[in-house]
Amino acid sequence: MHKTRYYLVIGAIGITAALALSACGGSGTGGGSKSTDQTIGTPDGTGKTLTVWAMDSDLSPDTLDAINTEFTKQSGAKVKLEVQPWADITTKVTTALATSTPPDVLDLGNTQIPGYAFNGGLLDLTSYKKELQQGNTWLAGLELPATFEGQLYGVPSFAGNRAVIYNKTVWAAAGVTEAPTTYEALIADLDKIKAANPAKDFSAFYLPGMYWYAGMQWVWDAGGDIATLSNDKWTAGLGSSAAQQGLNDFKTFQNTYSSVASRTLDMDSPEQDKMFASGKTAAILSISSSIDSIQKDNPKLTTADLGTFPFPGKSGKSQPVMLGGSDWGIAAKSQNTELALLWVKIAASPDIQNTYVFAKDGWTPNSVEGIKAAQKTDLPPLTAGFFAAALNSKSTPAAANWAVIEGDLSINQFFSSIASGAKSPADAAEGFDSHIDSVLNGN
Amino acid sequence: MSSPIPATSVAGEGVAAADTPGQLHAPRSPQGRKKKDFTPLWLLTPAGLVILAVTIVPIILLIFISFTDYNRRSLFTGEFAVVGLGQYASIFTDVAFWWSLVRTVFFATALVAGSIAIGMAVADLLTRLAPAMRYVVTVVLIFAWAVPNVASSLVWDWLFQPGFGVANWLLTQTHLFGDLTQVNWAQDPVLAYLAIWLLIVWQAVPFIALTLYASQTQVPSEYFEAARLDGASEWGIYWKVAIHFLKPTLLLVTILSVIWDFNVFNQIWLVSQGGPNDATATLGIWTYKTAFVGFHIGEGAAIAVVTTVLLMIFTAYYIRNLVRAGEDL
Amino acid sequence: MTTTPPQETLSGARPRKRDARRRRKLRLGANISAIVFSVIWIFPVYWMINTAFKPRPEVMTPTPIFFPKHPTLSNFIDAFTQSNFLLNLRNSVIVVAGAVVLSIVLGLLASAALSRFRFRGRRTIMVTILAVQMLPGTALLIPTFLVFNSLNLLGTYIGLILAYVAVVLPFSIWVMRGFFIAIPYEIEEAAMMDGAGNWRILWSILFPLVIPGVIATSIFAFIAAWNDYLVAYTFMKDQTMYTLPVWLASFSNPITGTDFGGQMAGSVLFSLPVVVFFLLIQRKLVAGIAAGAVKG
Repeated sequence: MHKTRYYLVIGAIGITAALALSACGGSGTGGGSKSTDQTIGTPDGTGKTLTVWAMDSDLSPDTLDAINTEFTKQSGAKVKLEVQPWADITTKVTTALATSTPPDVLDLGNTQIPGYAFNGGLLDLTSYKKELQQGNTWLAGLELPATFEGQLYGVPSFAGNRAVIYNKTVWAAAGVTEAPTTYEALIADLDKIKAANPAKDFSAFYLPGMYWYAGMQWVWDAGGDIATLSNDKWTAGLGSSAAQQGLNDFKTFQNTYSSVASRTLDMDSPEQDKMFASGKTAAILSISSSIDSIQKDNPKLTTADLGTFPFPGKSGKSQPVMLGGSDWGIAAKSQNTELALLWVKIAASPDIQNTYVFAKDGWTPNSVEGIKAAQKTDLPPLTAGFFAAALNSKSTPAAANWAVIEGDLSINQFFSSIASGAKSPADAAEGFDSHIDSVLNGN
Repeated sequence: MSSPIPATSVAGEGVAAADTPGQLHAPRSPQGRKKKDFTPLWLLTPAGLVILAVTIVPIILLIFISFTDYNRRSLFTGEFAVVGLGQYASIFTDVAFWWSLVRTVFFATALVAGSIAIGMAVADLLTRLAPAMRYVVTVVLIFAWAVPNVASSLVWDWLFQPGFGVANWLLTQTHLFGDLTQVNWAQDPVLAYLAIWLLIVWQAVPFIALTLYASQTQVPSEYFEAARLDGASEWGIYWKVAIHFLKPTLLLVTILSVIWDFNVFNQIWLVSQGGPNDATATLGIWTYKTAFVGFHIGEGAAIAVVTTVLLMIFTAYYIRNLVRAGEDL
Repeated sequence: MTTTPPQETLSGARPRKRDARRRRKLRLGANISAIVFSVIWIFPVYWMINTAFKPRPEVMTPTPIFFPKHPTLSNFIDAFTQSNFLLNLRNSVIVVAGAVVLSIVLGLLASAALSRFRFRGRRTIMVTILAVQMLPGTALLIPTFLVFNSLNLLGTYIGLILAYVAVVLPFSIWVMRGFFIAIPYEIEEAAMMDGAGNWRILWSILFPLVIPGVIATSIFAFIAAWNDYLVAYTFMKDQTMYTLPVWLASFSNPITGTDFGGQMAGSVLFSLPVVVFFLLIQRKLVAGIAAGAVKG
């Protein structure tokens, strides 16, 4: 009598456990590769609500409003917009995509999207690609990470990149009145700045050692890359002679112009905007939103005191910048795929891109045509630097596991060990390359 | 009838009576108790069901997952494969695991030792203060204890930040260590441990101090007076008299500290993320990185199970006593 | 009487004076230690409050500013008006209240059952309860997520409350059981002989003796529910349902730069209820735990 009841209870528990594991499985992994083009049209969404997740401070509320208004106008459906904070967002999105009622549209960082797309979390959009592109050529840095085995899983939203922000007043005081356009000119200018500001904790150019976005610019400029894909296999390339050259140049630059302490620091601790605002440095490499942040930290710095220019490369062109930005993804298990497609199409439309993403938010639009159109307008001088830099951009390997390399901070440690001299570029690359190989090619 | 029960078994009574601290006052009836077996009923009541669903089922699921290769793809598509004990084997053959274990044991020991030592000192201090001063110290302790560790970790991160951190500035002002304004605590293994240790101990001491103080006040002052009249030093008084009566409370507080400090995660993650180069990657950090950065959920589950079993082994003696206690009921 | 030096006698006026001097020295030493300790120990809290009143340009300066030059309430006002603070506060209160109440009720029932009644598997359950407390904190996030997903508990208040109860329950059972087994059976026997039923016994006799355990449970449930970020963030589906820790985390923004002043103001607001709660409860709690420790 006893034993039976006991086992019944255990049995019930076991069944529940099994149910729990299987409940999140099931179909909906976006159909196979459809080779035929499909149209989105204008689905009727009266009475329905589309759930959109946007990241805090990616697109401004005004821009999102504009998209939503247009969407409701065309489809009659409402939009439930959720703005998410950044901390632990990967855990949040991963678990959300596992449920049967995930958000329909998600704002995903372009370095994060492979992890979701390549594991079956996002809807396959390949058959809608032509219509979603709306005649434009998307920026490679945004499109490639969303493409897996030829299938498209995301629609570029916007891009941000890095340019040099410098303190015109401090530079002028040291005798530099024009922004440099070549590497040699930059070096010469920084030497002057350094001489004019001998304080031990002042950096002519504040470049934290762990700031891999910046470090990679040297590697790319020299012709190297993190990893390349061929025959379904990733091969890390930081040990190549080109990459090594770039790394050595990075080390020399970092050690000469940035403080000793900065060799093992990252750009967010302390925040480099605050270093700039407090006068500890007269130049940083950062994204466009830093301008605002700097002025908030030090209201005495006006736009007249600030200037931007793309980082000139030894190669003669500007250093290739790490294209950051977002793509819109649609959950594979979304219940409103047609409406989601319409929303995403509007968000990527030239209209929204030009009038809001660029003009209002100051971000780089998602297509080459968008950039060109923006450049024709009267670009505020501060924005001009970022746009010029965007024309030469690269992105991180579009591998499903790339996020792990970013997440375990191995790439940060790689660069800081070179900057601090703890390891020679060759040694550091040896260890890091094998780590990259095993992670990117692993399951 | 039953044997007489020592009078001290009533809750709230002081410690100084003649019983040995730590002994359980188990009631006895010669012919054993009336056995009322409520198992089936209890487990199936709403409360029982809730408890089952909310605590037991996830644990069983965790153990099950630890034998699979559950990962992100499994979350999205439901596919996974059972890999069995191979997963556990690969953990035990992974050098990183053993290093992580060593770090965990070492760090937990340092944390427990530090918290208890300071806690004992503060408790003793509290007994020697006038009520007004005692209230001040108590309030200070409460503040440190009550600040949620989400907020305190933020403050800490910021206090120890190179360049703008107050800690660096203050230390530089003492002129004892030279110019420390640029020291990056998170990038030096020793300093990272120190910063984290300070944070955890800062918030752990209040509970220990206040609990020990409450215990210490139960000791009748005659014992202290007698010792003092005998010419014992303060130090001697503390060690011979106070500690004797504090033993049970000390044991409880130590066990709690061991369990909490072995598994501490939040503070380490926020200050150093397990770095530099895994120098501060305790088992808790390692589990998190495996399960939430690499999304090797199955492997993470296995590490979690191993960690739990290890901790149970470390506290085995206490557990055995605890389970035995009340067995005579 | 004798001319022995004062410190060798055990009686008489002299030793008392020497004693008094010694006591005064000790008292002085204690007071100085107390002051030094308090200053050091309160420093992080002081810094938190200090920063909360600073305008943004004063927050990150190479030379720390120990008292705001232009103290401002704007950080606090912004917190109230420009964010989801009030909404998230409401959610936190609901969830915490639910977690505390449910933990106490379930904890009482479970620990009563485990301590008073003999049944098969009791030992296993006790060991499991202890083992569960030793699990690393984040280990159960995904399994619990999966279970709750299949039970459709995600995105609901009750789901989040139950998640916290799951964390607190083992501890609460452990503590309360300790108090239960210390209660001599004779008390129950007497009551039963007087004709009281099981529920009556539980309520009027056993429960009052377990109060410190109840208080300990309520404190830990409070902390778990008030403090948790990850579970609230992953289990709740939309912003109107987030709790305060998520609100606090939203100040860390890699794009706009962290608004430290706002974050510290938020931390102060976030810590206040806990501090108040602790100030009210702590005496009963630590006394109870200390007494309970003796019972093993």
